[in-house]
Amino acid sequence: MKRESAGTDRALARTLKIGAYSAFGCIVVGLALHFAGFGDRVTTIGMIVLLATPVLRIIVAGVQFLREHDIAYVLVSLGVLGIIALAYVLGLHA
Amino acid sequence: MTLGFFLVLVAIGFLVGGFGALAGIGGGVVLTPLVAIYYGLPMHQAIGVSLVCVIATSTATSALYVEQHVTDIRLGMLLELATTLGALIAALMARHIDRRTLALMFACFLTYSAFSMVGKAWGSRKREEEAPVTDYQVKNYPLGMAASLVAGAFSGLLGIGGGPIKVPVMYLFMKVPLRVATATSNFMIGVTAATSAIVYWGNGDVNLNIAAPLVAGTFAGSLLAARIKHQVHTFYILILLIAVTGLFAVQMFYKLATGGFR
Repeated sequence: MKRESAGTDRALARTLKIGAYSAFGCIVVGLALHFAGFGDRVTTIGMIVLLATPVLRIIVAGVQFLREHDIAYVLVSLGVLGIIALAYVLGLHA
Repeated sequence: MTLGFFLVLVAIGFLVGGFGALAGIGGGVVLTPLVAIYYGLPMHQAIGVSLVCVIATSTATSALYVEQHVTDIRLGMLLELATTLGALIAALMARHIDRRTLALMFACFLTYSAFSMVGKAWGSRKREEEAPVTDYQVKNYPLGMAASLVAGAFSGLLGIGGGPIKVPVMYLFMKVPLRVATATSNFMIGVTAATSAIVYWGNGDVNLNIAAPLVAGTFAGSLLAARIKHQVHTFYILILLIAVTGLFAVQMFYKLATGGFR
């Protein structure tokens, strides 16, 4: 089994961190705005960031695999993205 | 939403996210019954809320595991093909399953989790130095994919991460070191839960008023816990979690027997 390159680990850790902190930040600000009477728009954005972070993480991993010319795992990444796209189509618009 | 109601939810999220991350569980197994029993949310909404919290825990803690180079990213992504497919199918099916059946399935899973944590607590009695990860050869891919499909389906159906299914299979049958198996399972949970959460969101089953404060608390709790993980003895946390899940299991069975969860 090929261990991951340090570059892949770094890129993914950064993506997850940025996603986690920005979702957390949006939700905290959104809740404050909720109590100030400004509605729930920012909270909703925070939730969307939360749901989008894992998707972004797959894209970042896929790009790293492409750089390493590991076509098999580029296809794996695209497969997982495809299933999530299917969830979006069947779940949100069915 | 009143301020008091909101603060209680933030505190619950903080405790579940924190203790969950310390003990290496996602927390869905505690949150779903908690909001179903004490907040009276219909099962589908309880699961939707729990799913978004599980994504928060997984994202916050896997950032750290990935940084420590203990996550097998290729293995995780390969198995994600199966977990997301299972999660999608189960989330679409969940629409057609009635609340009481879902509650019964959940109560059974809760009982299983409590027992599996007893085993985990027994193993963590003594505090041991974590052995460095040695080279390993992943075996038994077909079994791993099958188990991941099942774990994904449970996640989409019950709003849990599915760690208690994936970790033993990776460790015992795929010959992945336990630490790597735990980190990799945790890494997969965010993507898996996001897949089914999209479907629950589409059905209107992610109640923002309850989910947002819980997610805020969960984030804070698991971010903090991931940092202090090495200074804490997990044995007592596991005992606490066993008591809580055991209590919820009893309450759910009692509520089912007396005609609740309609």
